[in-house]
Amino acid sequence: MSFKAKLGGALLAAALSTTAFHGAFAADDTIKIGVLHSLSGTMAISETTLKDAMLMLVEEQNKKGGVLGKKLEAVVVDPASDWPLFAEKARQLISQDKVAAVFGCWTSSSRKSVLPVFEELNSILFYPVQYEGEESSRNIFYTGAAPNQQAIPAVDYLASTEGVERWVLAGTDYVYPQTTNKILKAYLMSKGVKEEDIMVNYTPFGHSDWQTIVSDIKKFGSAGKKTAVVSTINGDANVPFYKELGNQGIKAEDIPVVAFSVGEEELAGLDTTPLVGHLAAWNYFQSVDAPVNAEFIKTWHAYTKNDKRVTNDPMEAAYIGFNAWVKAVEAAGTTDTDEVLDSIIGVAVPNLSGGTSTVMPNHHITKPVLIGEIQADGQFDIVQETPAVVGDEWSDYLPDSKDLISDWRKPMSCGNFNVATGKCGGKGS
Amino acid sequence: MLIRFITLIFLVLASAATSFAQGSDPKPLFDQLADANFNQAETLVGQIAATGDPRVVPALNAFSEGDLYFRKSDKAVFSAKSAGSQLELIDPVTGESAGQVAKGAVTKIKVNNNLRRAIRAALGGLTLMSPDRGARLSAADAILRSPSAEALELVEAALAKETDGEVKARMEEARAVSLLSSDRSIDEKRAAIETISGLGASGLGVLNSVSSSIDPSLKPDLDKAIASIQNAQQLWNLAQNVWYGMSLGSVLLLAAIGLAITFGVMGIINMAHGEMVMLGAYSTFMVQEVIRENAPSLFDWSLAIALPVAFLVTGLVGFVIERGVIRFLYGRPLETLLATWGVSLILQQAIRTIFGPTNQEVGNPSWMSGSFPLGGMTITYNRMWIIVFSLTIFFALLFVMKKTAYGLNMRAVTQNRRMASSMGIRTPWVDALTFALGSGIAGIAGVALSQIDNVSPNLGQSYIIDSFMVVVFGGVGNLWGTLVGALSLGILNKFLEPSVGAVLGKILVLVLIILFIQKRPRGLFALKGRAVEA
Amino acid sequence: MISGFILRALEGRIVVTVGILLAVAIIVPALNLLTAPDSALHIPTYAMALMGKYLCYALLALALDLVWGYCGILSLGHGAFFALGGYAMGMYLMRQIGSRGTYGNPDLPDFMVFLNWKELPWFWYGFDMFPFAMLMVLVVPGLLAFVFGWFAFRSRVNGVYLSIITQAMTYALMLAFFRNDMGFGGNNGLTDFKDILGFQVQAGGTRAVLFAMSAIMLALCLIVASAITRSKFGKVLVGVRDAESRVRFLGFRVENIKLFTFVVSAMFAGIAGALFVPQVGIINPGEFAPANSIEVVVWTAVGGRGTLIGPIIGAILVNAGKSYFTGAFPEFWLFALGGLFIAVTLFLPKGIVGTIQHGWNARKAMKAAADAEKGRNAGAAPVTQQAQAAE
Repeated sequence: MSFKAKLGGALLAAALSTTAFHGAFAADDTIKIGVLHSLSGTMAISETTLKDAMLMLVEEQNKKGGVLGKKLEAVVVDPASDWPLFAEKARQLISQDKVAAVFGCWTSSSRKSVLPVFEELNSILFYPVQYEGEESSRNIFYTGAAPNQQAIPAVDYLASTEGVERWVLAGTDYVYPQTTNKILKAYLMSKGVKEEDIMVNYTPFGHSDWQTIVSDIKKFGSAGKKTAVVSTINGDANVPFYKELGNQGIKAEDIPVVAFSVGEEELAGLDTTPLVGHLAAWNYFQSVDAPVNAEFIKTWHAYTKNDKRVTNDPMEAAYIGFNAWVKAVEAAGTTDTDEVLDSIIGVAVPNLSGGTSTVMPNHHITKPVLIGEIQADGQFDIVQETPAVVGDEWSDYLPDSKDLISDWRKPMSCGNFNVATGKCGGKGS
Repeated sequence: MLIRFITLIFLVLASAATSFAQGSDPKPLFDQLADANFNQAETLVGQIAATGDPRVVPALNAFSEGDLYFRKSDKAVFSAKSAGSQLELIDPVTGESAGQVAKGAVTKIKVNNNLRRAIRAALGGLTLMSPDRGARLSAADAILRSPSAEALELVEAALAKETDGEVKARMEEARAVSLLSSDRSIDEKRAAIETISGLGASGLGVLNSVSSSIDPSLKPDLDKAIASIQNAQQLWNLAQNVWYGMSLGSVLLLAAIGLAITFGVMGIINMAHGEMVMLGAYSTFMVQEVIRENAPSLFDWSLAIALPVAFLVTGLVGFVIERGVIRFLYGRPLETLLATWGVSLILQQAIRTIFGPTNQEVGNPSWMSGSFPLGGMTITYNRMWIIVFSLTIFFALLFVMKKTAYGLNMRAVTQNRRMASSMGIRTPWVDALTFALGSGIAGIAGVALSQIDNVSPNLGQSYIIDSFMVVVFGGVGNLWGTLVGALSLGILNKFLEPSVGAVLGKILVLVLIILFIQKRPRGLFALKGRAVEA
Repeated sequence: MISGFILRALEGRIVVTVGILLAVAIIVPALNLLTAPDSALHIPTYAMALMGKYLCYALLALALDLVWGYCGILSLGHGAFFALGGYAMGMYLMRQIGSRGTYGNPDLPDFMVFLNWKELPWFWYGFDMFPFAMLMVLVVPGLLAFVFGWFAFRSRVNGVYLSIITQAMTYALMLAFFRNDMGFGGNNGLTDFKDILGFQVQAGGTRAVLFAMSAIMLALCLIVASAITRSKFGKVLVGVRDAESRVRFLGFRVENIKLFTFVVSAMFAGIAGALFVPQVGIINPGEFAPANSIEVVVWTAVGGRGTLIGPIIGAILVNAGKSYFTGAFPEFWLFALGGLFIAVTLFLPKGIVGTIQHGWNARKAMKAAADAEKGRNAGAAPVTQQAQAAE
């Protein structure tokens, strides 16, 4: 019988031991913050850099004396590109490690996965990546771009400066491109573009054979009107896409491609000579000419001990989010979630493009939109910069969200206030 | 807006070409670029071109490539080229060196797509009568790409003097597209439409763009030309789809061919196969890094050098895996799946730890870049070479398997290990070499795939499932099956893609494979006889 | 007589495991709900949610063991059945949100609203009813397994080929569910659940009940699996695994035997998925990823296939390790996991439970032999009988 007992004991021990694994206790002289980025799996390619950036920001802050006289301590976990694991790790960070705030997530799926956890346990997440909008949570701050902070200004630029009349909306088949393209299509049609002048195309994740699609784009572009491609193609599939464009001889002067997911980091894996002139829209480029950016790049190179490491837009978003949190905590005098949520609204911190970004009541931030053209050295030449734009969580171009606004200040404190019905809670029935 | 500037350029140029009356100095115009915004710069480019001075061509080229700078101290504009850590300044008009300065002392003059287009048009006009044949050819191309009525006189003037056949033909085409939007006679336009309809796809854009504004009496001709191009295109589309399918098939073949040995012949469910491909790609990256540092002139040879390196590296890794893990698992194929899956995780994470998770840049040598037209389709060099390459590997492998003593041993061991052993074949050694060979070939495939895909730790993962599908579809243990399987899956995919989209196309192919396996449980080319049950 | 002895031992082991599971089902929620948070015995909600997840995985591994360990079908697509069960549950939970979604649409889930869907697609009908949804948890994976197996087993697709096409199946489903046009929320999947049967999903009590349900369902499925494998049918099953042709020549309809087991196993996986979703709060196409299904195979192999209890232990151990490593040494997690796969296949081919069982039987046999030796010396008949039984 001893075997059975052992077996049972092992089972129970295995189940219970996990609680002991994370017997981390918070020392009184440190404030913990969580870093929730995938370090393995498919998303590691993008997210690892953000983890490094967060560690650097924490280190820099500690050099300045930390926050509220305490040192910051980053708790790094690896959700391994697995969305349920994101929720589990978020719960672990909040309830076991007792972190004051979490910086993390990349894909919308991961954010959607952790959202209920943050609301349930009342903690704060800073989300640093551009996304499709259509969400507003009391506990999440969206420091990346909403569609109106990236997609719409980019399209405006192409239409006005390059005289584009025909549009290819090419994207990876997931929620961000689908929503962005829906918004863009509605926007373009409101500007008088005809349905037949818009081509929408979706490809699977990691698509690597672009021959057919690139030649379709070429054909679509031979209708005698100036044509451009608006690309919401996901990170990994971009390299083969651009290679195919270059090889099939599509030059930026003929059919420019403007991308929303291609930054310095993605171009680092690519010979950009054939791509010169293709565009990207972000809120930050490494080539921004501002002293604060030069300083940031210098620190980054020193921290990573590699002066070839590039900086990119999500890093800036993380930078803004982190500094806004630090400022809000210092204003509140505590890391208590409710107090920080109150004090952070209206906080203005310098961004890396030389201006300031303000945290708005809708938990999005203000930032300028930069349009850049790809250069032969893998950097971007900024060809247009708009004044700071407020992130719009509920798009004005989707029928069901155009009446919604979000305002997390008291007394409204509502993420989906309907201005038409004057009630909180969406469209109502 | 752009059209207006191009018009301006050509108007002035046309008069310059006929009268050579202009003589203003372009130098002050260049200097004004220092303070100009994009629109002003466009005007300035027009004015520079309007001087008709052929000496400005190199500086305009430099401008379009982003190599035009102004000196911060006096706002004088120079084109510049890198000279060590400094920049060598070159006078934009005379082409004389103006000494070297530190990079911080000058500011780059920004250029955007509109400017580049304006410069291209300006250069087209300026170089139509250049003594250099290549320059004239690209000038005619430039006008073909941005047709305008104003370029017409210029083209005709150049045409009158042109003697070279090919250039002349290109200029005729340029003349035709320019003529269409001019106010020439109906008959001349009709002839132009005739010429353009021979241009294929690129002529379609021109014809479409004038279709709304053209004289009604020409409309039937125009519609006929458009229809004839479209008809021809449809046939070419078919050819293009076959070509794309073959190209996709060759990629599948490359990815699967190593697996056809380790899985197909040896029966090891080698989940680490994708990582061998990845190692091959990283070997290419390492070779290119070394070449970039030490001998940049050899860059075009980098792939040739990378091939043996990748083969040896991955072959060696394969050898170690076979000796260290797999040899204990013969006869338990499903367990090799687990062990090799473990190996693949370790290899992935090792690469991630060493090189970082981001993409690495693997360059295309010049002979792998660009494309050439073949009738109505565009053939890219990299795809073409990959097809050639994959077939070469396939036949080389076939030769090794069927015609060499080692191949004979290998087949003997896999068919009946004990009997082979009693015949004096060192079976463990043959096993290890076979696995190393399969891995090495996967590594070579990695060299080729690095040319068209991301080089990241995830590279292998994106090919592993497709590879298994190809081998199973073709029939395990049969190299010909792998070839036919890869090509037919590739072509099927490419014919489905235009009608149902890339995502659904891929799903349909998978479903078809599943159904096919029900019909022929052992693939296209099934092995027969007792080996099947073994 | 010999087999009867082993059978009794097996039965006892199952009973003990079921007992432990039922005890866990009561004790863990009780410790979570009734003790003070600072008490030494307190189990935090976080840990309970984690253990609940392990139990769902354990059930999935048990499902795989039924087909792999007893029937020789190595399915690399069991994640698909798991995910389908999860989606069925997720659809019910989405419908329960009702007008509390961000757009306040009483019928359409949020993702349909902002992608401009006008009405609920037909396949979402009925999922607002709990019994219907629960039925679908069983029917959808079961039906897929039935159709898939009906074709595959009839054409005698087996071994590696079967493994590869099950992988193709889950891969195709993953691609399909990633498509937004499918109407399952694309890559974001289904999330932000509110209620289950009128109870708040996030509430402590609901979590406790869900946890208990996971343990109880695992226990129930274990009993069912054990009943199947211990029956006459189970003997034939093992026969199919070890020598399919012979069983066929003996007149059994091998394809029907396989089909039945495959469908039952798929339903188990569906149940596991359905319990998994409310506890982790999200279901998305990532669950269909072929790598996930391979991981299930690994849990089963680590624990010991063909033992029923092994997969449960394997799933819990490997996942506990994963939780620990991804928190403590994130960079080394894959090295550890990869190393584990290799080590288990090389050194523990029978898995943990299989090896212990083997060792145990060997020791018992040795002891019995020794006793027999003694007994023979003493001339005592009953002991000899026992020794024979232990052979």
